[in-house]
Amino acid sequence: MLPDEILERLNAEFPSREQQIQQLFALYSQHLPSPPLLVAHGLTATGKSSIIRAYLKVSGIPFAIVNSRECITGRHLLERIVASCLDALDDFDGGRIDRRPFARTENLSALAVNLQRLFGGRAKFVVVLDGVDAQREAPPTLLPALARFGEMIPNLSLILTATLPLTTALHKPGIPHLHFPPYSRSSLLTILSMHPPKIFLMPPSAEQFPDYTADLAAEDDAWLWGRFLGAVYDSLSKHTGRDLISFKLCAMRMWRPFVDPVIKGQFGTRDFSRLMVNRRFLFQMEDGVLDKIISAEPPAGAGTSASLIEKKRSRAVVHSLPYYTTHLLIAAYLASYNPSRTDVTYFMKHTDKRRNKRRAHSASALGVTKSKHRKIPRHLLTPSPFALDRLLAVFRALIEGTVPQVADLLTQVGTLTSMRLLVRVGGAGAADVLDPGARWRVNFSWEYVRALGRSVNVEVGEYLVGGVD
Amino acid sequence: MEHERCYIYTPPESEGRSSKRQRTRKRDPQPQRAERLATYREIWAQQEDRIQVLSFPLFSMRMSKQYQAALEEADSATQEKIINFVAASTRAEDEPQLSIPTGLVVAGPSIASHGPFFVRLGQRIKEETNSRYAILTSGESPNLKTLLKNLITKITSRIDDDDEELGRPTTSSRKGLKLLNFDLGHVQEWQKMNRVESIVIAIQDSEAFDTGILIELIDLLFSWLDRLPLVLLFGIATSAESFEDRLSGKSLRYLEGQKFDVTQSDEIIEKLFSATIARADVRLRIGPGLSRRILDRQKDHVQNVQDFVDGLKYAYISHFYASYPTVFLQEGLAFEDLSSDVFEAVRNLPSFRRWVEGLLDDRRTHDVRKLLDSDQYLYEKIIEYMDRGQLALSMLSQAVILLTCIREALHMTPQIRLSTIWTRAISGELLGAPLLRETMLTVKKTSSDKLAHVLASLKELDSDENYVSLESFQQELNNLIENNKNSTPLRSQDDVRNESLRTTVVAQKVLLSKHKAALSEQDKAYSDLVAHFHDRLEAYFNAAFVDPRTLFLSEIFMYDLKSPHTEVFQPRPRFAIERALASPHDYLGCDCCGGDQDEATLSATLPATAVLYQLYLNAGALINVSDLWSAFNVMVGDKDAEDESKTMALFQRALAELKNLGMVKPSRKKTDHIAKAMWKGL
Ligand SMILES: Nc1ncnc2c1ncn2[C@@H]1O[C@H](COP(=O)(O)OP(=O)(O)OP(=O)(O)O)[C@@H](O)[C@H]1O
Ligand SMILES: [Mg+2]
Repeated sequence: MLPDEILERLNAEFPSREQQIQQLFALYSQHLPSPPLLVAHGLTATGKSSIIRAYLKVSGIPFAIVNSRECITGRHLLERIVASCLDALDDFDGGRIDRRPFARTENLSALAVNLQRLFGGRAKFVVVLDGVDAQREAPPTLLPALARFGEMIPNLSLILTATLPLTTALHKPGIPHLHFPPYSRSSLLTILSMHPPKIFLMPPSAEQFPDYTADLAAEDDAWLWGRFLGAVYDSLSKHTGRDLISFKLCAMRMWRPFVDPVIKGQFGTRDFSRLMVNRRFLFQMEDGVLDKIISAEPPAGAGTSASLIEKKRSRAVVHSLPYYTTHLLIAAYLASYNPSRTDVTYFMKHTDKRRNKRRAHSASALGVTKSKHRKIPRHLLTPSPFALDRLLAVFRALIEGTVPQVADLLTQVGTLTSMRLLVRVGGAGAADVLDPGARWRVNFSWEYVRALGRSVNVEVGEYLVGGVD
Repeated sequence: MEHERCYIYTPPESEGRSSKRQRTRKRDPQPQRAERLATYREIWAQQEDRIQVLSFPLFSMRMSKQYQAALEEADSATQEKIINFVAASTRAEDEPQLSIPTGLVVAGPSIASHGPFFVRLGQRIKEETNSRYAILTSGESPNLKTLLKNLITKITSRIDDDDEELGRPTTSSRKGLKLLNFDLGHVQEWQKMNRVESIVIAIQDSEAFDTGILIELIDLLFSWLDRLPLVLLFGIATSAESFEDRLSGKSLRYLEGQKFDVTQSDEIIEKLFSATIARADVRLRIGPGLSRRILDRQKDHVQNVQDFVDGLKYAYISHFYASYPTVFLQEGLAFEDLSSDVFEAVRNLPSFRRWVEGLLDDRRTHDVRKLLDSDQYLYEKIIEYMDRGQLALSMLSQAVILLTCIREALHMTPQIRLSTIWTRAISGELLGAPLLRETMLTVKKTSSDKLAHVLASLKELDSDENYVSLESFQQELNNLIENNKNSTPLRSQDDVRNESLRTTVVAQKVLLSKHKAALSEQDKAYSDLVAHFHDRLEAYFNAAFVDPRTLFLSEIFMYDLKSPHTEVFQPRPRFAIERALASPHDYLGCDCCGGDQDEATLSATLPATAVLYQLYLNAGALINVSDLWSAFNVMVGDKDAEDESKTMALFQRALAELKNLGMVKPSRKKTDHIAKAMWKGL
């Protein structure tokens, strides 16, 4: 391929990256010498990985890419470097290199030796280490050593990609850096409008609209998508996630509900402003920007506030737990959020005026604190740990009547711990989950416990110091 | 002889019976145990089959038709959905995938049943789709490396698929380079050879996994997604939302999929209950006390299908093991197979006594004499009454099923489950209970459309009991409905809508009078029909809802002992220790410290640990050890002796024992103090 052709093709595939592509082109060509090390840095989704890969593919230089994300340890990274270099060389010459000498690469010096042996007397070879800055269990000498590989292996060119420039970590001055800056609004719009999604998943029936051809449809798609992208960026993505991927996901999530009236025939394909007014609730809700595993059903109709409330409600669904387990959880919440010295006031069984007392207590506490200093409501603080016996005592105080001291109660504490509703703090290392030295903390929110309490007719707020409203 | 107010005591004549007692051969403590064991096995095998059918639907191909309706509802519906999801997620070639297909399996809080669920699911997935399946649990995944090692061995090992190619082990790389044992490259090579459509990784207890590990795992799997056809399944005990909340935004982006709700275990329990306990054709019944206990435990403490089954099995075992007369549950038992001991045992059953007393009240002394004297006669009666009892119980169960069905068909509130009605029926409380009365009243008032519905659902029950001739009722009802020209359904005369309140003002007094609207000819005919139906039902229920405990031999065909069950399934370890420490004489059986019932009495004769425990109970949260010692010394120490070393040794040993039990622990809050770690009665 001719150099100009390469540039043109890459620029078409990756718009707004002319400068970076040009630099790559200047630095890595088949016949001119290349720098022994290059650091490509930039925030996420700025095209580092994809552009470097695409460029190297068309450049004709043999190369290997190792993704640090897939390497579990530093040693793993070294092994993978050797293995992928071998694979790449095999692919490149179609030959078969005897792999036995390269069977082990335990450390950096072994890597140096192996690479020296591998590339000795060969032409240029590029190794890309993608995302080295995020390597798990990396040895501290990894980056400085890699920076010096070029001195030992003359025909090896290393490219490291990272989020931030690796100036100090390499301990070597004068390393060339290639910056991939974040995209501006206009670049984002250009990139995303390259592949507009369809408005009509099913083309409208040919009999009804005989002159609505596929070309016309594609034109409409591009027109509406372009406008829509601008609106999404200005209303949501600008504030929530400006990188390419977040923006794209957000736009894709909102696209279907957005064009729904068009498909139903309420609006024409070019009625952008009326469509915007009709679908404005999409831009007011957070659904577009939240990442979810279960893709949400598009909200039905224009019933905006109603569907919003419904969403809220459906989020607070509580799984039905056995009766005593529910009480154990409530007791755990109270033990976590009430200071233990107030237990006597709140849980003494034989003060029959306890309710009034409690109310008065909380009211006065609020009154006093308001004048002095603002106090954060208890349920917004982090839970404090409690001992097992306190949990059991609060539990017994909550329950009307007596509960036999059966082992089932302790089993439930164990079960709740493995469900991570209770979290054990301290007493670590002890094999016994119910070790008396251990302490617990709750791991659920006020809303959860309130719903839980209502399912068994306990108003948890009444027992909480300071009260909640 | 208790039936007489006063009688003359005559010592038994020394013939017949006493000679039996003097028999010198060694008594077998477990007579005919082998027979009972065999009967137990036979009866339990039937129950187990029913359980299997319910919980392992697809693997018991020999199931009978009867259970098919029940099994369709159990968790196979969810499994079906998950399998379809897995099958649908096999990707189109060379189209890049944007996220890992993920199933969130909300399996509910009964953690113990997650394991079997995922195993069953795996078997079905392997059978019905071309996939590889691996289960990961939190226990075997303390960190990412171990997790990956396990995952790789589970995916690539060839333990369970024996028809695979015979070749070198997959671990030795063809390329000559040895991969590290946590490198997913192993899986890639395996996939190159086997070409499965999807590799399903089930994370069984996702809550128990460390969040960091999960996030790293998702990140890693996502970057392998272009080479491996991965599908993830997460078992979730709480809710899908709380699972999503735990993961960070970036990992959520890598996942996309569906939520699957597994049948709540209380529904499965209900099904198991009706399939095993409340059936019409069960030879051994579980009595009201025990079944209530089993159900309550499920409701209050654990929701666990396995526990339910275990409880039931244990009840069966205990029944056959502990009671000799259970040998009569064996079918086709001949008189010759039995020793006279068993008849003696039957004569000692409370229900035998009650029965005999009843006979005496009827002045059938001759029969009673014969029952007491002749084993042969008793044998015949036992066989007869066993059948009668079984029949009565199966009629009772049938009636309960019928009652539940009627309530359901009439949409009566509150909804009461079959298990609840059944336990009430078997404890003999149902006859005359508001529940039954109310149902019967509603039946009386039903309009024709609802009655048709009731009849239809009764017909579906398909019981062989003919309490009413459903056919003819349906026939008549249909005739009436067809002749009805109005659009409204026919009403019976008891229907309140046929009554209106009428206010009249007579001499400045307001009179309220109920007024029955005139019934049309058809309504009258319909009313007759309903009344007839109601009467037939009532008669049937009256006959069916007997108190089974009053039946002769109820001890044999009904097991209702509480203590073996509670001791095994609901032990009270903490209570036992506290009690042993608080009142050791109960266990030691000595005279020195027992006597009066007051538990808090302290005496020097108690074991040293018990003394110290009493002092401990009276102390506050922080205990000064020196105070404790002086109190102990006053109690136990020998007042005259100069040397305290012996008392001190006792004290130290007692304290060490309390510490060993976890009751005290050293405290850093105050010097010379120990902290109380356990309070009594919690
Ligand atoms: N200029 C562009 N034109 C078209 N697509 C682009 C452009 N820049 C990035 N993309 C697309 O964005 C996605 C993310 O890019 P890529 O993985 O290369 O980013 P990255 O900088 O390596 O991110 P990270 O730092 O997270 O690894 C890819 O699908 C890529 O095709
Ligand atoms: Mg990248």
